[in-house]
Amino acid sequence: MGGSPQILLRKTLVVLATAPVVLLVAACGSTAPVKPANAAIAAVTEGDFAITAPTQLKAGNVVLRVHNNGPDEHELIVVRVRDPRLPLRADGFTVDEEAIQRSEPGSLVPGQPGSTRDLRINLKPGRYVLLCNMAGHYLGGMHSNLVVTQ
Amino acid sequence: MIRRGQAFRPFSDGGRRTIVAIFLTFALIGALSAALSLSATARSKNRATVLQVADRQRTLAERYVKEVLLAHAGLQADPASTASILASSAHALLDGGTAPSVNGDDDETTLPAAGGTVLRNQFEQESRLVSDMAANGEAVLSRRPASTLPATAHEHTGNLDPIQRLRVLAALTSNVSLNAGRTIARSTDQNVSRLITMQVGLGIGGLVISLLLAWALIATTRRQTAHFRSLAQSSHDLVVVLGAGGCRYVSRSVVALVGRTESELFGGGFEEFVHPDDREVLEGVMTHGGPPELSLRLRNASGEWRHLDARATDLRADRRLRGVVINARDATDRVRLEQELTAQARRDSFGSKLSEALEMADEEDAVFEVVERAMVETSQVTPMELLLSDSSRANLKRVSTSPGAAAPACPVKSPYSCVAVRRGSAVVFDSSEVLNACPKLRDRPGGPCSAVCVPVSFMGRSLGVLHTTGPDGAPPPAEQVARLTTLAAQTGARIGTVRAFERTQLQASTDGLTGLDNRRTLQKQLRGIIKDGDPFALAIADLDHFKQLNDAHGHETGDRALRLFAQVMQGVLRDNDLVARWGGEEFVIVLPQLDRFQAVIVLDRIRGNLAKAHPGETPRFTASFGVTDSTQGESLEQLMLTADGGLYAAKQAGRDRTTIGEPSTEPRSTTVIDDLESPTPPRRGRPYLHEAVDDEEPNPSGLEIR
Repeated sequence: MGGSPQILLRKTLVVLATAPVVLLVAACGSTAPVKPANAAIAAVTEGDFAITAPTQLKAGNVVLRVHNNGPDEHELIVVRVRDPRLPLRADGFTVDEEAIQRSEPGSLVPGQPGSTRDLRINLKPGRYVLLCNMAGHYLGGMHSNLVVTQ
Repeated sequence: MIRRGQAFRPFSDGGRRTIVAIFLTFALIGALSAALSLSATARSKNRATVLQVADRQRTLAERYVKEVLLAHAGLQADPASTASILASSAHALLDGGTAPSVNGDDDETTLPAAGGTVLRNQFEQESRLVSDMAANGEAVLSRRPASTLPATAHEHTGNLDPIQRLRVLAALTSNVSLNAGRTIARSTDQNVSRLITMQVGLGIGGLVISLLLAWALIATTRRQTAHFRSLAQSSHDLVVVLGAGGCRYVSRSVVALVGRTESELFGGGFEEFVHPDDREVLEGVMTHGGPPELSLRLRNASGEWRHLDARATDLRADRRLRGVVINARDATDRVRLEQELTAQARRDSFGSKLSEALEMADEEDAVFEVVERAMVETSQVTPMELLLSDSSRANLKRVSTSPGAAAPACPVKSPYSCVAVRRGSAVVFDSSEVLNACPKLRDRPGGPCSAVCVPVSFMGRSLGVLHTTGPDGAPPPAEQVARLTTLAAQTGARIGTVRAFERTQLQASTDGLTGLDNRRTLQKQLRGIIKDGDPFALAIADLDHFKQLNDAHGHETGDRALRLFAQVMQGVLRDNDLVARWGGEEFVIVLPQLDRFQAVIVLDRIRGNLAKAHPGETPRFTASFGVTDSTQGESLEQLMLTADGGLYAAKQAGRDRTTIGEPSTEPRSTTVIDDLESPTPPRRGRPYLHEAVDDEEPNPSGLEIR
């Protein structure tokens, strides 16, 4: 290695000054969703206390890109229904998930405010309800109807 | 312009700066780490209190619903108080402050303001929900319709009955409280993991920086070491470190000089190459660290002694060295030159002393004496001799021998049978026994020997030889040979000069033909006799009919006659008698202590012997004499005139006889000197007297005796 000790020292210091920055950037690696192939993307926004989602979608593979606007955490349950009025549990204010389990093509566990997650589901034609079933959230207004057409 | 980076700087202190940089890196990273930990701790402080209060909100929301229902049923309950605690706590959670105590449960708690957008949003939402719930509770208790109630938290509960709406709001409040707690826990987790990441990053970064700096330091040091090594190794100076166990370091130059490997020189190895006479000094250096300047002789690869000028530096107290450093330089050339100059000076001083001594020797014997003294000065014990040829240059004679030692006794007889004389230059024989030694060295009484023979010559003419012998196989040293050469050269020059001088003296004072004194010499000697007042007889002789002899038989016969006459006279005369050829065929004889009558007897004996002589090819001849003595005149001129008168009378009387001159009664003028010396004839008309005047050296005062 050529150069005087001073130049060597200077180079070393520059490398070392930039190293932690590089390390930090690497540590905070992005988790941004990737666009899946052959799937429609539907934006769903959750918030206190409403769900904004498309009311009509084509049947097939769909990616629901779910953004939680907060401030509270929210989950997302997609239920295929005959009747949009869902049965409640005996407590009188949460949807009876066990009763609708067989017609539930997909769900997301509670997500943090500000987060965006993808729910990949295969939608067959029919009526659907998108809801958040955290205590009081359904009755508080967090449900949205969806019609899937052929 | 030379770039800074390319300059050769063995003494740069970059290493020190690197060390400082390493320390600074550690300090910076330590400080960063501590600051991170402190801030993380500060952020986590009171988190437990906040969590407890947030958790309490859930319980209070449930309790509020129950109390509203109880009060609604007409039982004893205080929902308003619970609502107040809920509202105050929600406010304290959001903006900081005091969360009131719950009766019988806990104490007042001071909370910090919530940090982070998510958490603040959640606490704001909780605050709104609590407010809506309280309004809803009051509406239930006052049995007002719920549809008119505010929905500040964006809840869509308009179509629910008031009690169910109350329960939903309580559940929402509880839920958002729970999630706020989670948010706090999550952010704490994140803080901790971020802290760990940062600390690990800092640790790794610090380590990497330090390693790189250390590596740079090592590289710098190595480069500097290499610089110094190449400086030390390319130097021609010799460096040796001597410690307690002997030699501990030698520079490459030493290795090259003595032609051994380093390991052979370590320990006691080096000392073996030092001259035995210098080892004591070296030991002194090892034990005392001095003297600071010394000279050493070191045997080099070809076995030759090299003279070193050395300088000792005592670094025995330096714990990194623990020895004496010797820096030396090969001074052999200088030392040799000095030795040569010293020898030259000694020779020169010998030469100049010798030349002065010889200058004072004006005779050969004196020269020989000086030579003997010079021999002693050259060597007390070496036998020496000076063999010199006589004037015939045919025979060598031993003229000087070294007084302290026996003569080498060279049997050489003639200059031309001496090899040194023939060669014309000094010859050194290592041994008399080798094939090419001078045969005259063999079979000497002292047995085999070495020898030096230096020819002695003058102006290219050989005079002899200076000869010396030494022990067999050990010829005299070069310096002695040089001295002998000087001695031989100067002796030759002096002997030549003395001989030439003597020859000149002789030529000046004698008559070339007869070998008798010349007129001037006789005059000088006669003046001495007259001065002393000693009596003497004075005669003038003249060959009879010499002109006829010359004319009849030639000059050579005349010359032979003159030489014969001279020999006859010398055969008769005593040692202290004086006889000189006055000129031509005329001679003057001085007979000290005799009177004119005694002189006649001596002169007649000469005539008698002349008559008896066998002149060989020379025809017989006779001589006439006129004689007087010191009583007959007052001056030499008078005596000469009287004797001349006698001669004239003898010639007149028929020649071949001796006649006593009658002193003239005529007064004499002092011009008689001129008469004698001048080419003009004297009054007596005796031209032959004047023909004899030595014209070569006219000396008007030649006869001045007064």
